[in-house]
Amino acid sequence: MFETFSQSIWLVPLYALTGAVLALPWSPGIIRQTGPRPSGYINAIMTLMAFLHSLLALPATLNHPPQYISFNWLHVVDLNISFDIEVSSVNIGALLLITGLNLAAQIFAIGYMEMDWGWARFYSLLALFEGGMCALALCNSLFFSYVILEILTLGTYLLIGLWFNQSLVVTGARDAFLTKRIGDLILLMGVVALLPIAGTWNYTELAEWARTATISPTTATLLCLALIAGPLGKCAQFPLHLWLDEAMEGPMPATILRNTVVVSTGAWVLIKLQPVFALSSVATNVMIWIGAVTAVGAAAIAIAQIDLKRCLSYVVSAYMGLVFIAVGTGQTQTALTLLFTYAIAMSVLVMSVGNIIWNNITQDITQYGGLWSRRPITGICFLVGAASLVAFPPMGCFWVLTEMADNLFQNYPWSIGVLLLVNGLTAFGVTREFCAIFGGKPKQMTVRSFEAFWPLTLPMTIVMGFALHVPLLLKQWNLLPAWEDLNLTVASFLVISTVVGGATAAYIYLGDRIAKPVQFKPKALQDFFAYDLYTAKLYKLTIVFFVGLISQIVSWFDRFIVDGIVNLVGIATVFSGQSLKYNVSGQTQFYFLSIFLGVVFLVIAIGWPILSQVSLVFGAN
Amino acid sequence: MQLEYCLLLAAALFCIGIYGLITSRNAVRVLMSIELLLNSVNLNLMGFSNFLDPTGIKGQVFTIFVITVAAAEAAVGLAIVLAIYRNRETIDMEQFNMLKW
Repeated sequence: MFETFSQSIWLVPLYALTGAVLALPWSPGIIRQTGPRPSGYINAIMTLMAFLHSLLALPATLNHPPQYISFNWLHVVDLNISFDIEVSSVNIGALLLITGLNLAAQIFAIGYMEMDWGWARFYSLLALFEGGMCALALCNSLFFSYVILEILTLGTYLLIGLWFNQSLVVTGARDAFLTKRIGDLILLMGVVALLPIAGTWNYTELAEWARTATISPTTATLLCLALIAGPLGKCAQFPLHLWLDEAMEGPMPATILRNTVVVSTGAWVLIKLQPVFALSSVATNVMIWIGAVTAVGAAAIAIAQIDLKRCLSYVVSAYMGLVFIAVGTGQTQTALTLLFTYAIAMSVLVMSVGNIIWNNITQDITQYGGLWSRRPITGICFLVGAASLVAFPPMGCFWVLTEMADNLFQNYPWSIGVLLLVNGLTAFGVTREFCAIFGGKPKQMTVRSFEAFWPLTLPMTIVMGFALHVPLLLKQWNLLPAWEDLNLTVASFLVISTVVGGATAAYIYLGDRIAKPVQFKPKALQDFFAYDLYTAKLYKLTIVFFVGLISQIVSWFDRFIVDGIVNLVGIATVFSGQSLKYNVSGQTQFYFLSIFLGVVFLVIAIGWPILSQVSLVFGAN
Repeated sequence: MQLEYCLLLAAALFCIGIYGLITSRNAVRVLMSIELLLNSVNLNLMGFSNFLDPTGIKGQVFTIFVITVAAAEAAVGLAIVLAIYRNRETIDMEQFNMLKW
């Protein structure tokens, strides 16, 4: 029976896409009478079906070699583009994660979007995302991964721009689209350049090709850098990270998905392409450096934010940076596990923050305080999410980070420092957020705050329970290192960094010794991180400025030079007509003169050879 | 006495006629200039007739015709000038520019 489900696993993306189409009739313009709620229910059911299908397909793939299914999509002349599907336990696991988190987010949205009319559009886009991500998880072809990434970029644009009557939403959606699109377009260059070199877009065949490939180092470097650029934008890495900050303008349930799985789509492609990246040491170094800089920078930015959602969005960039480091150092297995543990932890965090925002209105962290006594469930969920996110011993990410640090120990000892720093800063950041929200005394915005109703709390607690079980699952899947293999030195260092970061934050934000809001000594430094390294200004002064300038020059050139030359012909014709008409002077004698001169010139022109001989005749006389 | 002198005289007369034709403001003087042109043509015809074709003298016959036509043309021309004068009270050539641009 399980075989049937694993054979038909390609149906999973279609459930979501069916839901996307079925949701649309409840748009306010089509079904005008009954309200938009059925669209949400339909999509939740579709997602549940997809989840169950994946769950039932899982046993058939465990401990089995991966199976490959291929659909022929296009065949022209000698180019065959086929939609390849890989069915393995990793892919099914990714499907489960995607559909499970989608189900949680959709149930969360049933509560969160209570007072909103735009369910049809919202759920339709959520379902589009789910379908796209499921297709990406199954897809075994670089070309179709690119296609899906582009569709998801469009989906991001539409989903962030859900409440488009807010001006910041419009600019945020614009930036998210353009920033991710730039990365995708450079990825397209890499994808197109790869086919003539490798002869295939199939990930499995690419890995085989890369093992024995001999291409010039320059080609390999350029190719790999282009292939990195796509995930770079998708994963919100420096310098293409501003969009994720601005994407926090979108609705909260979408943020759950974006912060956990959508940004992971880039990382997924990155992991799949790891054998190709291994061809170029420059590219892997670039990847490690980008990851390291982003991880440290974003973790530092995250602790300087005062917006609840943005505190978390920079942690997303930081953890994706860690994934970049892992892929750059060849640890694909660790990267996949990190994506899994991170996604679970981050979804709990985002859901608890959404729970808080839903009935406290403000997102300003300085307006919060003293919610622990009245919001215990949300507080516990936040704590579990935070503990799962950083290296906190029994929880999920601890094992992954330890394993990663252990692997890094031999080749890249300096990157352990990055890991420790990011872990410490993240621990500081999430503890700071926890202490600011739940610790201290209630403030005006939080005086009356109650635990949110069941659709918001249920998915949060269920995912929290799942987060608590992640270590057991890892043990079950033999992903935990054996106790004797555990590098206790790096593990203890990681735990120390967590404790130091968390304790410092707790000391600063729970005690009264330091005045709130905390002023950093050089104010400029605090602002530097609070304003995201002034990235918006940086964009505006460099890329946006130059593209704008060139556009204006080209537009001016088109309007005045190109159009001008054509118009000049017309004007010259009109002018010559207007001025030459004065030849018709009305004076008969002038006409006589014209005729006479014309005849004279004609005679000279025609008779020139004869006339020159005449002069000879005269000369002879 | 040579043909060339005869031709050069005719050409000079033609040039004077053209000059008068173009610069005169009086319509009658324009007609007179046309007569000069025709006469210079007659001189040419006579010259060629005498020096090149003394036996056939076809040129002389042409000259007779030209004189005849010139008389007729002068009559018509003067009639036109008279008609214009009656309408416009002037025979100044520069006033007859109703057809300008």
